[in-house]
Amino acid sequence: MVSSINNQNDPYFIDFPGRLAQIQKAMAEENIDVYLGSRLRTLSWVTDAFCPWRSYIVIPAEGLPTAFTFVIDAARVADDSWLDEDHVLGFAPMGGQDQIDQIADFIKGLLKNGRGRIGIESGMSNYLPEGFLTHYEYEQYKAALSGAELVNAHTIIDRLALIKDEGTINRFREASRIVDVGHQAVYDAIINGGYKGMTETEIAGIAALAMRRAGSEWEWSFTGGNEIACGYRTGLAGGACTPASRKEIKAGEPLMVDIHSMFKLGLGDHSHNYLISPATDRQWWHANNFLDIVSLTLKTYKAGTSPALLAEEMMDFAEEREFADYMVPGFEHGIGMMGDEWRIGLNDGPFPYWTNPDHIYRENEVLICAMQYACPDDDIGFRYENPIVIKKDCCEELSKYPLGIEEIK
Amino acid sequence: MEGKVDYLSQEWRDEIEKRLKEEISPERMKFLTTSVTYIYKNCPDGNDRFLHFKIDDGIFSSILVDTGDPPDGEFNVTGDYEVFAKITQGIMKSQRALMGGKLKLRGNMVKALKLASLADRMNKVFAQVPANY
Repeated sequence: MVSSINNQNDPYFIDFPGRLAQIQKAMAEENIDVYLGSRLRTLSWVTDAFCPWRSYIVIPAEGLPTAFTFVIDAARVADDSWLDEDHVLGFAPMGGQDQIDQIADFIKGLLKNGRGRIGIESGMSNYLPEGFLTHYEYEQYKAALSGAELVNAHTIIDRLALIKDEGTINRFREASRIVDVGHQAVYDAIINGGYKGMTETEIAGIAALAMRRAGSEWEWSFTGGNEIACGYRTGLAGGACTPASRKEIKAGEPLMVDIHSMFKLGLGDHSHNYLISPATDRQWWHANNFLDIVSLTLKTYKAGTSPALLAEEMMDFAEEREFADYMVPGFEHGIGMMGDEWRIGLNDGPFPYWTNPDHIYRENEVLICAMQYACPDDDIGFRYENPIVIKKDCCEELSKYPLGIEEIK
Repeated sequence: MEGKVDYLSQEWRDEIEKRLKEEISPERMKFLTTSVTYIYKNCPDGNDRFLHFKIDDGIFSSILVDTGDPPDGEFNVTGDYEVFAKITQGIMKSQRALMGGKLKLRGNMVKALKLASLADRMNKVFAQVPANY
């Protein structure tokens, strides 16, 4: 077992039984007898284990939860989790062992006379591995648990997971330290003409090796791991997703390095940008615009502001400097333990399952300060991403890699 | 042993107990402690039957064959008499029956995987007992 549950002095300690108690209290308040979680974020937040295969967690009104995952991975999940092997079960395509039969049977054992309210996770996301219950699963569970009522209850987890505890923040801090190691490795590899002949995929690999050596578990992002772009690919309109390609790094072009690490389900996500020499005055004009708006954004984040307020202020600045046309008008995305990405806060905005622009940031929320600058006409763009912790009057930047755009000779 | 015994009879139970104790040592049973209940549906006489094993530190401490309410095992395997009979005779593989949904297993699948080879070992002993099915 590698979960940080037993040692409260461990900087990465998380009180998982405490989390469970909070969930069960919220379940009681909403008259939910059993919670059937299926989202990756819920699995991570409750089990402290990475569950890459379709998985579920059944949380009873009292007592320990039981996770269910594909049988080929159940022993490993149990080994990583604070839950023991009797509370991490495997399902398989065998009589009585498929996920519907097994979990429905298990839930029936928790309900009185097969009756009660079961909380499920239903909704939508633009994050593909979100893990909401599918229509098929819903129909199957509904039929198998015909005496029970299935109600949407994911807000219980969303609300409890919003404000991060110290152990979680420390995991993010360590993941960011690792990302900084990756950026240093990339810099060391490309300087003094080292970039010549290199491709985006090679740079992604250089960062990955350095980060793995520093303890990263994987380049967690579903956007292709480490996202590297050079030349025109940096400037694709609105292009905030650039899986590395086989494109070669060339003199006179920009280079965007957006790398990802994972440490105990805490996520590192930081982007740094370069101009490969010779850089033109026009390229430097874009670069300085970008650096100035990043700097201002980081100074503006604090408790009490909201995505809309911040965006308005930043876009006014960009307009004043005449580069608003090149800015994607968003300055953040949500983040949490593995599987919790994109939406900020709760599902309470004008567009269901998107960030509420009027969400008021509170202390110890963690988000990715993120912005994308793209000028397709000049084949140039830059990206900034850095996990930040919202503080009362400021924010803490978790990646300490110096903000800048270096011209690589 | 002379002649055949009836499958799932008390004589058959006595014979498999004798053979299991003679042929499968606690070491070969990996000093395992567990319990398994096989629930036979639709037996030829119209009843359901169960076959229950209790194993302590690799020793077969209790083997029961009976009708009525089956004791709950750590693992419970349910299926038709005909399916179990085919498995015991070596006509059908138990894994195939499980994968085809002909048998239904209740219990921790991860632990069951670890025990699959032991179940096969026991089944080979059952297959040696001349029986009327």
